[in-house]
Amino acid sequence: MCPPPAGREALRHDSTDSLPRRAAMIDVSGLTKKYGAKTAVDGISFTVAPGRVTGFLGPNGAGKSTTMRMVLGLDRPTAGRVTVNGRAYRDAPAPLREVGALLEAKALHPGRSARDHLRWLAASNRIPDARVDEVLGLVGLEAVAGTRVGKFSLGMGQRLGIAVALLGDPPVVVLDEPVNGLDPEGIRWVRTLARQLAAEGRTVFVSSHLMSEMALTADHLVVIGRGRILADCSMPDFIAEHAASFVRVRTPQRGAVTDLLRAAGADVLAVDDELRVQGLDAAAVGELVAGTDLRLHELTLVRSSLEDAFMTLTASSVEYSARTGADHAGAPR
Amino acid sequence: MTVTATSSTVVLDPRRNVPGTRPGFGSTLRSEWIKFWSVRSTVWSAVMLFVLGAGMTALICATNAEWLASGEADESPGSFITFGMTFAQITAVVLGTLTVTAEYGTGMIRATLAATPKRGSVLAAKALVLTGTLFVLGTVTAVAGYLAGNWFLDREGVGLALTDDGVLRSLVGSGLYLAGLGLLAAAVGLLVRHTAAALSAVLALVFVVGTMAFLLPGAWGEWTAKLLPGNAGSPIAAPVSFNPELMAPLPGFAVFAAEVAALLAVAWVVFSRRDA
Repeated sequence: MCPPPAGREALRHDSTDSLPRRAAMIDVSGLTKKYGAKTAVDGISFTVAPGRVTGFLGPNGAGKSTTMRMVLGLDRPTAGRVTVNGRAYRDAPAPLREVGALLEAKALHPGRSARDHLRWLAASNRIPDARVDEVLGLVGLEAVAGTRVGKFSLGMGQRLGIAVALLGDPPVVVLDEPVNGLDPEGIRWVRTLARQLAAEGRTVFVSSHLMSEMALTADHLVVIGRGRILADCSMPDFIAEHAASFVRVRTPQRGAVTDLLRAAGADVLAVDDELRVQGLDAAAVGELVAGTDLRLHELTLVRSSLEDAFMTLTASSVEYSARTGADHAGAPR
Repeated sequence: MTVTATSSTVVLDPRRNVPGTRPGFGSTLRSEWIKFWSVRSTVWSAVMLFVLGAGMTALICATNAEWLASGEADESPGSFITFGMTFAQITAVVLGTLTVTAEYGTGMIRATLAATPKRGSVLAAKALVLTGTLFVLGTVTAVAGYLAGNWFLDREGVGLALTDDGVLRSLVGSGLYLAGLGLLAAAVGLLVRHTAAALSAVLALVFVVGTMAFLLPGAWGEWTAKLLPGNAGSPIAAPVSFNPELMAPLPGFAVFAAEVAALLAVAWVVFSRRDA
């Protein structure tokens, strides 16, 4: 089952100055970030464990990037703390060799070549220059290593960003929306890479606003909406809990059918001109109705997709959503 | 494109960051040096600085040598021998600004601070690379301008020897002043984080406000004008200043250096506290 958000005081580790001995992980505890009156991240706590891909899922504006920037010590939390390998990111002597991160793919100087971009990063953490060519080969950019990155497509920029993340051969890898702008082959490549990195025992933390992408990549899910954790559980548990199915029933005698099914122990929800039945399968519904003089016009088993489950879960936390005609009377969310 | 080499590159050794291989300030400095020289704008700015700085000195000396040698000259050759550095100042301001604002404009600052979370080190390394480059480049440009310009002055018999009063000081002073201006621009860039805004602010302060301020009335106005960064700092870069109202070279430069240091301190405080 997906546990509710953990208590804010769920401190698991104390930061120490010693070198990390335990397995590499990210530990977020009571993390809060406010920008003026607006709370971007609201007291979230979770752990990203090694050896698996942890998906960080949420609609745009949910607080994913803000959280990731705090993990990397770029933004200062308003409250709470986040440790990587048991200490604050800023305290790592050679951070690129502990945590590799892809934040924004196009956050590059357009006039610098891909190789030079990696070279200054490598120099800052005393990573040998040989590793620069190694990661360029790894992401398939060796042919354009000397090309100025201003000429790169978004997909090539993403690949360079992933090369940056892998530069220090880090035990912890953080990827913010890594498949943005990639073609289908590139998407599959990132997926394979993330799974491979996790299989090697690394801690892999990948954010996305696409449930369909996470479903194929992540072993574990942390779902965030409006700055709060909505779910923190394994992918199978998430599917079991949220990807519900129901039986769609259409009938001219909705009231009578509803009474009949409810009497048999089913949950019945009337939506528009249909009834959504849970607790009885389609066969049982058919048999029940067959014994009466009621008529059915439709009897269908409907499985909601993971995408739907995610949409349902985060519906109330979407910051800006397109209003449909029927919603005009309601207050904008 | 396929993933081939991942497995072979992985060595999960939690103790890999042993003392001795840990990066220090030297690594940050090397990183900033690579960053500084790996964009074309730096190379172009450096070339422009040299061409403008040395070229304009040569040009102004060539066209004024005859007049300076005649009896009617009311200016000293010492005001002309580093004249081109006025133009080099603009390039120094551009370089100083871009060193900082290019990172904010692209968002690359986050990569920089993720690689080196010690923001004081990042700022110090940037400042050192910038001032070192500008000092060497400025001094070399001033010397080249002196050699070229003095050739024309010598022909008219009004040449200046290196040992003449203030000549050597003005050549090294040119390098110092450009370094200071670059640092001033970098500090403003760090505060406003926007190329066009930082560039306009510094150029306006040094070239426009500095000149206009002499129109202010009274002793208060006179001192305001004298103490403005461009007016206080520039006398060190010329053997004889065009403007007799400016401060003496060394006290003036001390004031300028203090102003740059103060602005840099403010920029450092803001930089180390705000979100990247």
